[in-house]
Amino acid sequence: MKNIIPKIAACCCAFTLSACACSSDAETVKPDGKLDKCTIRFSWWGGDDRHDATLRALELWNKLHPEITVKAEYGGWDGWEEKTISQISSGSEPDLMQINYDWLISMSPDGNGFYDLNTLTQTLDLSGYGDDVLSFGKVNGKLNAVTVSVSGRCLFYNSDVYNRLGAAFPETWDELISLGSKFSGEGLYPLDLDIQTGCSAWYLAVVYVQQQTGRQFITMDGELGFTEDDIKAALDFYKQLEDNHVIRTVRSRADEDGNAALYQSSEFIGGKVAGVLEWGSSVGKYESVLGEGVLKTGPLLSGENGNGGWMIKPSMLYAVSKNTKHPDEAAALMDFLLNNKECAEILGTTRGIPSSAYAEKALEDSGKLAGLAQESDEMLEAADTVTISPYMELSQMHELYSKAIEEVSYDETDTASAAKEMYSAVGEYLKKVRK
Amino acid sequence: MKKHSYRNPVGVSRFTGLLLITPFIIGFAAFILYPFICSFILGMTEYNGISAPKFIGSENYTQLLHDEKFGNALAVTLKYAALLVPLKLLVSLCAALLLNAEIRGIGFYRTALYVPSILGANLSVVIMWQYLFTSDGLVNQLLKMLGAAPVSWYGEPAPAMFMIVLLRLWEFGSTMIIFLTALRDIPRELYDAARVDGCGSFRAFIHITLPQLKSVIFINLVLQTIAAMQEFNAPYMLTDGGPLGSTYTLGMLIYSEMFGHFNMGYANAVSWTMFAVIGLVVLIMFRVTGRRRDSA
Amino acid sequence: MKKKLPVYLLLTVLAVIMLYPLLWLIGASFKTNREIFSSVWFMPPRIELSVYKNAWETVTPYTMGHYFLNTFGIILPKTIFAVTSSVLVAYGFARFDFPLKRLFFAFLMGGMLMPSIVTLLPMYLLWSEVGLLDTYIPLTVPSLFACEGMFVFILIQFFKGIPKEFDEAARIDGCGTFRTLIYVLVPCIKPAIISVAVFSFLWTMNDFLTPLIMIRSVDRYPVSLALRLSVDSTGQGYEQRKIIAMSVIGLIPSVAVFFAAQKKFVSGITAGGLSG
Repeated sequence: MKNIIPKIAACCCAFTLSACACSSDAETVKPDGKLDKCTIRFSWWGGDDRHDATLRALELWNKLHPEITVKAEYGGWDGWEEKTISQISSGSEPDLMQINYDWLISMSPDGNGFYDLNTLTQTLDLSGYGDDVLSFGKVNGKLNAVTVSVSGRCLFYNSDVYNRLGAAFPETWDELISLGSKFSGEGLYPLDLDIQTGCSAWYLAVVYVQQQTGRQFITMDGELGFTEDDIKAALDFYKQLEDNHVIRTVRSRADEDGNAALYQSSEFIGGKVAGVLEWGSSVGKYESVLGEGVLKTGPLLSGENGNGGWMIKPSMLYAVSKNTKHPDEAAALMDFLLNNKECAEILGTTRGIPSSAYAEKALEDSGKLAGLAQESDEMLEAADTVTISPYMELSQMHELYSKAIEEVSYDETDTASAAKEMYSAVGEYLKKVRK
Repeated sequence: MKKHSYRNPVGVSRFTGLLLITPFIIGFAAFILYPFICSFILGMTEYNGISAPKFIGSENYTQLLHDEKFGNALAVTLKYAALLVPLKLLVSLCAALLLNAEIRGIGFYRTALYVPSILGANLSVVIMWQYLFTSDGLVNQLLKMLGAAPVSWYGEPAPAMFMIVLLRLWEFGSTMIIFLTALRDIPRELYDAARVDGCGSFRAFIHITLPQLKSVIFINLVLQTIAAMQEFNAPYMLTDGGPLGSTYTLGMLIYSEMFGHFNMGYANAVSWTMFAVIGLVVLIMFRVTGRRRDSA
Repeated sequence: MKKKLPVYLLLTVLAVIMLYPLLWLIGASFKTNREIFSSVWFMPPRIELSVYKNAWETVTPYTMGHYFLNTFGIILPKTIFAVTSSVLVAYGFARFDFPLKRLFFAFLMGGMLMPSIVTLLPMYLLWSEVGLLDTYIPLTVPSLFACEGMFVFILIQFFKGIPKEFDEAARIDGCGTFRTLIYVLVPCIKPAIISVAVFSFLWTMNDFLTPLIMIRSVDRYPVSLALRLSVDSTGQGYEQRKIIAMSVIGLIPSVAVFFAAQKKFVSGITAGGLSG
């Protein structure tokens, strides 16, 4: 008995370590430019409309390429990241995957986590993409993924409330801040910012400081671009919003909404809180709880230096597994999903406004581009935007933002020491993930 | 615990028991020991789930000692368990006594009182809690009617903790069933005898029911303590660990290190620490009640 | 009857409180997103059964019926495995003395102390290595080996409650180890065995993360995964009522099984009963 346990331990140890490491020593299958008969797996997360459209698009694919069977693996967002990381760590991931922006960092830190799509251009047409959009999917010079759609956060307002108060949507930061007094008379708020998973509170503060200083909060290579003073300025700006009754404090927000998302709170539905900072690609849920046409897009706030500093990022990307046995076929399917005209019409905007010029043209021609998502997309396109670093989106970073904002809001600490703490914590963490 | 407290029946080999628990021995090696060892090894590495794990010895554990978040989470978890477990045992015992009544339609009531445990952390429960505990929610309106000051349930540390305890208290079903199962096994004659002696129902409860339930109280105590110390879902759904980390449990810390930050090595080190803490608590429970339990 | 009135009253009040979320859930399945989040009152403004028809059909090529069959394909073997193996092992622990008993008992308890999330990845790697991912084996087979320490623990305590004279009498009548278990002891702790089976059923019904990780084909999804197929918090939003209607459908088996089993929790046929 006594000898068995160490033996089992040794076996387990060897097995675990080898299994954990197996993804790094598997050999990559080289492309041959031909489409062979095979079955490939394609995974995505989403809601009903995306599932439905994608399944119909795959039926079309089946007609065009009867020899390549596609096995669809899909589900809701909950747990999808956990599922994907388990698959990748054992090398059993699908051939083609819809991935999230920050997964590029967490699942392919050195650019070797996914197939290098530059080698697959025989079956994958990238001519519908500008270099800037393509660069979103590059890690270490390797094209790990192709952007499906781009999105940024914009301001959306409850026009009923604004009209009733005779208030115009703010165009500058000063106008936003002065709105507070106008709304407070009625116990209302012109805007809402949260410290939940998305932490829109920190996002707006970053936009503000980026616009003022021209420095990027976190660079594309994962360096901290802000100085400690910049972080303090951002926190001060946040505190100013609270103090001027532009937004609710973290505490009163929790008291009124609990842990619910804003679109699930009676404060938003009833118009007590009349604005939200949200991704163009997910504003639909806010729109649907207000009356039709009530939620409207507001201008990107600007200051003396114009309206720079607003940010965009890929809302999702497609990547090919580096363990795939069928790289050509997976790339061909990706090409179909991104560029094919008929496919684009079936998919519509279920994955946002397509970045591929071909797909966008197809939607434009069929008149499918309209609504808040499209409006915000156009506004951001016209502005001098900054690309969000994938490092900024890592969940540990979000925790650091939320912590600083919460402590400032609860007056647990002043903005100077919160900034100091955040500056060193962010710097340390970035150093750790970069290596 | 005394050794050899129970002797095998005559003619039964001392390996019969071993034979009976063989399934467990096999299962233990494959489905418990193996992942535990993996986890223990990973706890001494730096591992992000993708690249090969890097061995760093006890570094994760040293880091843990200096990690404010860990210290806070441990304190929160202990506080939570200390608050929840006794209350839950009490509530579920009362419910079991009530549901033990022999009346028509009791099946409906038993099911009704178990429904919250089936719902678990369903959306409806989360929304109910919001209607109850937000600033102008039902509870605060009640407090106002009674002339008390409203409480900031979601916004302040202590009330937030209490609110989560209340959610789990409301889901007393499983504990209640174990009590119920045992209650019916208490011989009627004991109560009859007590009644003859002029014993009231409260005294009968103290002198007959409670001692008879000792063994199930122990089961529930141990199981509920383990469950409470591993709590993840309730604070995750209701408060996301806030305000100011006051409901951030060890379970949440492990989950977020594991799948949020991909610090799998560190997550495993935290898990093993948690393992040790729960193990210690449970061991104390066994020791304190040991003599009685083993003499069965 | 008069004496029972307060009991009824108390129980009814409690039942209403406990059932309200369920009522609300059923009501909400007929409401729009806006209505769902603006009132706590459960009564829906209208009743359209088409919601349930849509929910039953789901957006996938399979109906909820298909997912129910999948779930039962997991639950039935799992529950049978778990109950059988747990009874055997608990019997061994409760009634026999054997070498290393205390060590194994410590292992049994120890197995419960680790959060399941930690063992998920190693188990995934193991099943991946033996090529059994995307089957129900990773979800059911561990139950064959009494891996739910909690069930064993509960049963051990109940076994210990049965007076030893029962076994001895059986042995004198010529019963062997197994016959003693099946004819004498199991009937005594039937309520406990049924509660263990019910726990196994209900928890498997709700289990989400393990099947999510282990099962990749949509046509093999159990109900718990199908329920969240349409939930995408990152997207443009979704019709809450359809998801709520699906979860109402998903709750029916659990409530029904519990209702059917509750009588049995309390109908032990033991005469002597349990001693502390």
